[in-house]
Amino acid sequence: MGVVHGQEMVLNIGPQHPATHGVLRLQVKTDGEVVSEITPYLGYLHRCFEKHCENVTYEQVIPYTDRCDYLASMTNNFGYVVAVEALMDIKVNDRVEHIRVIMAELQRIASHLLGLGAFGLDVGAFTPFLHMLRDRERILDLFEMTCGARLLYNYMWVGGLSHDLPVGFVESTYNFLDYFEPKIDEFVNLLVHNKIFVERTADIGRMPQEVAVSYGVTGPNLRASGVKWDLRKNDPYSIYKSFEFDVPVGEGGKGSVGDCWDRFYVRVLEMKESIKILRQALASLPKEGDIHQSIPKKIRPPKGTIYKRTESPRGDLGYYIESDGTNIPYRLKMRSPAFTALSVIDEIAAGWLLSDVLAILGSLDIVLGEIDR
Amino acid sequence: MNEDQDKLIAELVEKGLAGDMEPINEIEDRVLRSKAKAALVKAKRSAKPQETEDHVKQVSDKSSIDDKSLSENLNENIGEMVNEKFPGSLVNENTETHIQLTPDHWFEIAGWLKSEPSLSFDSLQCQTGIDIGENTLEARYNLHSMKHNHCTEIRISVSINKPVIPSVEQIWRIADWFERETYDMLGIEFSDHRDLRRILLPDDWEGWPLRKDYQVQETYHGIEVPKMKEGWE
Repeated sequence: MGVVHGQEMVLNIGPQHPATHGVLRLQVKTDGEVVSEITPYLGYLHRCFEKHCENVTYEQVIPYTDRCDYLASMTNNFGYVVAVEALMDIKVNDRVEHIRVIMAELQRIASHLLGLGAFGLDVGAFTPFLHMLRDRERILDLFEMTCGARLLYNYMWVGGLSHDLPVGFVESTYNFLDYFEPKIDEFVNLLVHNKIFVERTADIGRMPQEVAVSYGVTGPNLRASGVKWDLRKNDPYSIYKSFEFDVPVGEGGKGSVGDCWDRFYVRVLEMKESIKILRQALASLPKEGDIHQSIPKKIRPPKGTIYKRTESPRGDLGYYIESDGTNIPYRLKMRSPAFTALSVIDEIAAGWLLSDVLAILGSLDIVLGEIDR
Repeated sequence: MNEDQDKLIAELVEKGLAGDMEPINEIEDRVLRSKAKAALVKAKRSAKPQETEDHVKQVSDKSSIDDKSLSENLNENIGEMVNEKFPGSLVNENTETHIQLTPDHWFEIAGWLKSEPSLSFDSLQCQTGIDIGENTLEARYNLHSMKHNHCTEIRISVSINKPVIPSVEQIWRIADWFERETYDMLGIEFSDHRDLRRILLPDDWEGWPLRKDYQVQETYHGIEVPKMKEGWE
C-alpha cells in the first residue's frame, strides 16, 4: 500500500473545554494527528481590568487584582501593594513583611498543587488530582482562618494587611508543613516517576532557552529551560534576601532540558523550597508589630511612574503604574506571566501530535483570568 | 534526541524546503515524523526574521562601542550612545528615568539595543501604551537584560491623528502580543507587524477603550452595552 497523504483540517479546541483551563479557544490546523499551526483566540474572560482601574481609587484596585489570577490571589495582591508602596515610598514593619512572605509562599504551594494536579488530569491521571486538591484544601483553610475568604482575599493592603494572624495560626501552619512535607515524596512516586506519565511528557514540547527569553516566558517555565532566574533571588523585594533557599532549574531528568516533564518537576521542587522559606519565616516572625502601622490615611502617590515586578507562582508579575498625583491611577497595566507563557504555544507545540499539544498547554500552567484580565 | 536523528531531520527539512515532502511522509516512526514536520514548520517561519537579523547585524557592525562600565548612569550612557549612532532620534536630553525617542529609527535602535554586547537587552519585560492627553499617545517599553541584570524604559510619543510606530515583534517575539494588546486598547498602529489584530476585544468592536476620550458604543450586535457608572466615591 502506498503512502496515504493527509489533508489539512482546521479544528477548534474550546472555548468550553476542560483541557483549556478556562475559556480559551485554540484553532489548530491538523494534518492527520499532527498539528501544524496553533492560533489562540483570547478575550472570552476579558473584564476590562485596566479600564476599571482608571475609575477606582488605589485601594479599590486590590479586589480586582484578586480576580485576575484567581488561583494565586495573595501573590497578585502582593505585587500590587509592593508597587504602590514603592511609588509612595512606604516602608512596612517586619511583622507585616513576614506575614506577607508566609502568605505568598503558602499561595505558591497551593497554586502549584492545583497546576500539577490539573496537568496530571490533562494527560489522563485522575487520582493525583484528588490527592493534590485534598492538600490544597488545608492551605485554603489556613487562609480562611486568617481573613475569612478561601479564594479571593483582599488581604494585603497598601502599607499593611487587613487582619493580623489569628491565634493558633503559627501552630496550624507548622502542623500543615509537617504533614505536607512527606506528601511531596508521595506525589513523586505517584506521578513523577510513573512510566505512563513520563512517556507522555518527557522529550515533548521542548522550549529552548533563547525562545523562552525572547517570548518573555518567566517563572517555572523559564527555569525548566535551564535559566536560573528568580526575582526572589535576582531582584529581591520584600525580605526575601534574608531567607536561604535554592532556585531549582530543569536538568532534563527524563528527557531533554525544557520539556514538559521538566516544567512539571521544577514545580515539585519549588514546593520544597517554599517549605524551606516558610519554616524560616515562621521561626523569625516578630511577636510585636502593628499591622496597620504604615497604612496611609489617603493614598495619593506623587506624580510619577513605576514598573515593579514580583515573582508570582507563574512568573514575573509586573505592575506598571502611572500616577498623576490624584487618588485614582492614571494608567495601570498588569504584565501577566500567563499571557507571555501562552504566547509561546505556537512556537513549541506546532509539529506535535494533538494529544501532546494538550500536554504542553497543561505544562505551561496558565490561568485565563490573568491572560484576559 | 540523539545526534543521528538530528542529522536525519536536518536533511529532511532541507528536502522539505525544496518542496519534496515525500521522504518526510514516508517515515514510519510517528514521533520522528512529527519532529521532522515541526522542524520544517519552524524553518519556514524563521526564513523571514533572518533577513531582519542580518539587517540588524549590519547596523551594529557600523561602529562598536568599547565595553565600558554601564552600571552607573545606565540611561545617560544609552542616551549618549543613541545620539551618537542615530542622530536626531533622541527627543529629550534628560534621560534620568527614561529615554524618549522618535518613532523613525525605533526598529534599528531596538535591534541595536538587543545585539550591543554591553547592553544586551534580551527581554522585553512590559510594553504598554498610554494616552497622555494633548492629542498624544505614548508607547512605553520596559527592557531588561538577563545577562547584565539591568533595566531601562523607552518612550515613544506619536500624535493621536497618525499613531504609527515601527513594530519590534521580530526582535522580541513577545512584542507580537504586547503590541496587539496596545493596538487593541489604544489604537496605536505598529507598522510591519505581521498579524496586527485585536487580541482581547472582538474584532468588530468600535473605538479604543483606554483612550481618555473613549465613548462606549450604544449596541453591539443588537445587545445594549451597559454604561460605565460615574461618580465612584
